[in-house]
Amino acid sequence: MMIIVIGITLCLPSAGLLLIENAGQISQNIEHEAEISIFLDKTVSKDQIDFIELSLKKNSLIKKIHFEPKLIAWDKLQSKLDVAVSSSVSKNPLPDAFFISLNTLDEIKIQKLIDNLDGIDGIDSVTVDGNWIKKLRIGLSLIKLSVFFIAALLIIVLLVVIGNTIRLQTLTYKDEIEVSKLIGATNAFIQRPFMYTGILYGLGGGIITISILKLSVLGLNATLIKLASIFGTDIIFQDLPHRFYLYIVILAMLIGLISSYISARNSIQRLKIYK
Amino acid sequence: MITFEKVYKSYPGSPEVLQNINLEILSGELVFVTGPSGAGKTTLLKLISAIEKPSSGSIIFESQNLSRIKDTEIPILRRRFGMIFQDHKLLYDRNCFENVALPLEINNMSISDMNRRVRAALDKVDLLKKEKMMPITLSGGEQQRLAIARAIVSRPSILIADEPTANLDKEYAEEIMNIFYSFQQVGVTVIISTHELPSTKINFKRLQLNGGSIQNLIGHVQLPA
Repeated sequence: MMIIVIGITLCLPSAGLLLIENAGQISQNIEHEAEISIFLDKTVSKDQIDFIELSLKKNSLIKKIHFEPKLIAWDKLQSKLDVAVSSSVSKNPLPDAFFISLNTLDEIKIQKLIDNLDGIDGIDSVTVDGNWIKKLRIGLSLIKLSVFFIAALLIIVLLVVIGNTIRLQTLTYKDEIEVSKLIGATNAFIQRPFMYTGILYGLGGGIITISILKLSVLGLNATLIKLASIFGTDIIFQDLPHRFYLYIVILAMLIGLISSYISARNSIQRLKIYK
Repeated sequence: MITFEKVYKSYPGSPEVLQNINLEILSGELVFVTGPSGAGKTTLLKLISAIEKPSSGSIIFESQNLSRIKDTEIPILRRRFGMIFQDHKLLYDRNCFENVALPLEINNMSISDMNRRVRAALDKVDLLKKEKMMPITLSGGEQQRLAIARAIVSRPSILIADEPTANLDKEYAEEIMNIFYSFQQVGVTVIISTHELPSTKINFKRLQLNGGSIQNLIGHVQLPA
């Protein structure tokens, strides 16, 4: 019973971690494809455009460069706008532009690149098209913080629940503890089996948590694969790395050990012998 | 071997259970602590076995002052005593062998030595044939013999028995006392609290308590058998 309680309780923050890991990976993938838009002066010459393109190609942070001439941009815009709006604009208001994607996520490096680009003749403005990703990342950080907070609370709950179970066990074995004390057993000797019990509770609970998470991932992916064949997407729910599962088991065993140690020690010390 | 010097013992909110106890128990002696209920017999035994500490005075056991003994030293001290209780304090979910083996488990003895020592102790109290039986299936006298086997298995230098024959009929009581006498004969100090003095051919010391004080301390008495 106790291992089921531990298993399910640890499942909640672990599932949260699983979701965060997956959301984090999605945001990273999107961010890799995020673009920086470089808008050129309207009076920029062909030589200046070539120079800017050469400068961009030389920069190792830039993965992909796409140049969009103002005429093409204007054509695209006109095709999207209705006739009344486009006919009311007499001149092409759009500048030539480069759209680049980067190899790095390092904000300092990106800012340095923007500063460099701003200093080049012919460049009017530079815009990073990834603000919403920043917001997503901040959101994920907040969720991660909440998950850790909930995990901390649940760990306290587990410490109390396991501790209480161990305390009840010490009461069950009161006679044995009393006799052991009377014939010369140290508190550490008497505590030992209760601590083993706590560790075993943790181990069992950890295994249950892992089983539930693994089954959930398998179940979700089975459903996602069916959806993928219908909608033509390739979204797969990523499992947690193996080390995370190891951490879960170690954490569960530590919780069992700590709570049983504290609880058994207090109960055994308080037990009055041979009244 | 054990010396009490001006020992007082009281519990919060109650009068003194023991007052000004001065006595000396020598190695290998047979000591009967007698007196009516409430005289302080059990408290005296608890002080000797460091279950309680005196309120004042000192108890010296082999140059160790039990009044100032550290909690961590008490288990080591108790391993030198064999203790027998009126209610046996057996573990009813373990068989006879396992009950007797408990002190040796605490001493981390090897399995082979443990088997040998437990069987020898059970043989001494004539319970070897019942080693696999559960204590609940034994008679009162047998349960007390089992408790004695547990007390002697670690070969203590002192046996302390708190009214070991209180719940037994005369025949069983005599049987139990004879076992104690046999240990005294081989040099073990035996301290027994009891309401009434049993008959014995052996020299003994009698410590008579009344109202927490020693009423009478008689050394080396030999009663007619």
